[in-house]
Amino acid sequence: MANSEVILLKGDAIRTLDITVGAGQARRVVFVALPGAGGVIDCRVSVRFAGEGGDCVLRGLYLAGGSSRVNFTVNMEHGVPRCSSRQLFKGIVAGQARTGFFGLIRVPEHCIGTEAYQENHNLLLGDDCRAQSLPQLEIYADDVKCSHGATFGRLGEEELFYMRSRGIPMDEARRLQLTAFAAEVLEGVPEDIAAQALASLESLV
Amino acid sequence: MAEIADILQELTNAEYSEGFTTDIEQEFFPKGLNGDIVRALSARKGEPEWMLEFRLDALRKWQGMKMPAWGHLQIPPIDFQDIIYFAAPKPPKKREEVDPELLKTFDKLGIPLEERDALSGVAVDAVFDSVSVKTTFQKTLQEKGIIFCPFSEAVKNHPELVRKYLAKVVPPSDNFFAALNSAVFSDGSFCYIPKGVRCPMELSSYFRINARGIGQFERTLIVADEGSYVSYMEGCTAPMRDENQLHAAIVEIIVEKDAEVKYSTVQNWYPGDSQGRGGIFNFVTKRGLCRGENSRLFWTQVETGSAITWKYPSTILRGDGSHSEFYSVALTNNYQQADTGTKMVHIGRNTTSRIVSKGISAGQSQNSYRGLVKVASGASGVRNHSQCDSLLIGDRCGAHTFPVIECANSGAILEHEATTSKISDEQLFYLRQRGISEEDAVALIVGGYASDVLQRLPMEFAIEARRLLSVNLEGSVG
Repeated sequence: MANSEVILLKGDAIRTLDITVGAGQARRVVFVALPGAGGVIDCRVSVRFAGEGGDCVLRGLYLAGGSSRVNFTVNMEHGVPRCSSRQLFKGIVAGQARTGFFGLIRVPEHCIGTEAYQENHNLLLGDDCRAQSLPQLEIYADDVKCSHGATFGRLGEEELFYMRSRGIPMDEARRLQLTAFAAEVLEGVPEDIAAQALASLESLV
Repeated sequence: MAEIADILQELTNAEYSEGFTTDIEQEFFPKGLNGDIVRALSARKGEPEWMLEFRLDALRKWQGMKMPAWGHLQIPPIDFQDIIYFAAPKPPKKREEVDPELLKTFDKLGIPLEERDALSGVAVDAVFDSVSVKTTFQKTLQEKGIIFCPFSEAVKNHPELVRKYLAKVVPPSDNFFAALNSAVFSDGSFCYIPKGVRCPMELSSYFRINARGIGQFERTLIVADEGSYVSYMEGCTAPMRDENQLHAAIVEIIVEKDAEVKYSTVQNWYPGDSQGRGGIFNFVTKRGLCRGENSRLFWTQVETGSAITWKYPSTILRGDGSHSEFYSVALTNNYQQADTGTKMVHIGRNTTSRIVSKGISAGQSQNSYRGLVKVASGASGVRNHSQCDSLLIGDRCGAHTFPVIECANSGAILEHEATTSKISDEQLFYLRQRGISEEDAVALIVGGYASDVLQRLPMEFAIEARRLLSVNLEGSVG
């Protein structure tokens, strides 16, 4: 994604970020959270729109293994008519890690023409980890398009079988799948940060 | 646009046809709630000692609890000492005889209590204020070993069953309103389907609030033993009044191995007038336990009434391979507020669940979906799909979605999606262009939007539900 701001959170990190999107402005922010084996990351993002026609895209990737904890809180306040936002947050959870995603889209009265979408996808790699998702919509205006989606799942067995039947070892097949899962968020992120994310992903396999 | 305003006006004045009162001699307990009231209630019902103990224990718990404030609701303060906790029609002079006035009331509501007139294949337990006035088809059901009777009769005639199952799914300490209900519940239905029996008819409870100043607190307990099947329906109405009346019920369902229970509700309590005056406060705890393997529980609800609805029919999926579905249509208009949804707690392995929730808000109403899908760490092979759609009609209403998804097992596949939108102009235009009036067009679109849920209802209920949706929505075009 062009012109995106990238925020890398490593080890222990508490981050509060207030984003204001001006009239007709477009903002793109990518979050990459790599807590390592025992880090605690808490990231709180608030977005407000200062004028009509604003567009905000947030993407996030969190890779939590070991005993790490990751929490993302996103507050999308659509206080101005005719603004749009898209959110895509993906998490891979392994070991005894705990992750939480809390995302609120709020559209006050008269803020018509709002388009707000939010997605949160989680992959669980073990039975001792735990993931939570609270996607919330609070809508007080009728002429809007808003949706959110959340999924929880594991690596696809059929895809793993497909790759293994073609001579790709199990670990490699898992790595490929995890990389593909993360790729959507990492697209356009500077090489060095993407490389750190992939290295961290390696440790989860 | 003037036309739309007119139609909206008309809609908000739409008649609540069940809003009449029945003039009948009734006896009341004094207002307020304390140990003496609970003792008097228990004595009046001729209850055994253990039942009184259960009530007093619940009352003690309730006194130490606070009203929950987490709902997306604005609840005016409720004075629990200003409510009459027991009201009953004067007992008839001869036994086995029901006051003709009462028969007329239920007849007017479309719930005939004479068996020969009754809806074919539906057994009804009719509850009027605090007591059950008549249960039909009891004999026919008895032949199959099915117990279907008012709760107070069950306490007398089947104490061993009641003791075994009472409060096993919803303990008195569960929440504020569950504790209140456990202390003062006055009647309700008890239903037991023995092993391997398929209930030959639909069972139904009909709740009617009539007297002024009373609260209705009923309790339903359904037990489906191994391999049995029952379909259960619940309906309710109340007179139109300026005051708010309280309704706090508990429904407990226990589903054993291979058994199946369908529980359908059409909730049509008085919703208050177009200015938001009056209406029923509906605080209900409904929960089912899929205890045995491969047990199945289906919830279907159509919520059109009540000034405030606070209700989350939930399923605990404990048996391996058990399955539950929740289908809901919640319609709010004027100043109604609804905070409703479901909880699916997956504990057993290979348990599956499905949630389909359709919210429709019009006028100045607020309509929220609140749900929980939880997967315990030992529950492998869990599958859940949730879909929550909201439809907004008018620009002064609100539609909200508050799901919580918690997963502690890597074998689970969970999906949740929610959308919010309004009735599309293209659809309206298409229908209008073909000579369909605006009102009918909206009714058609809303009917189609809710049809996933409506088609799950038993036939008698589906017709009623469609009628309610169109009456409550008449002409509300956004």
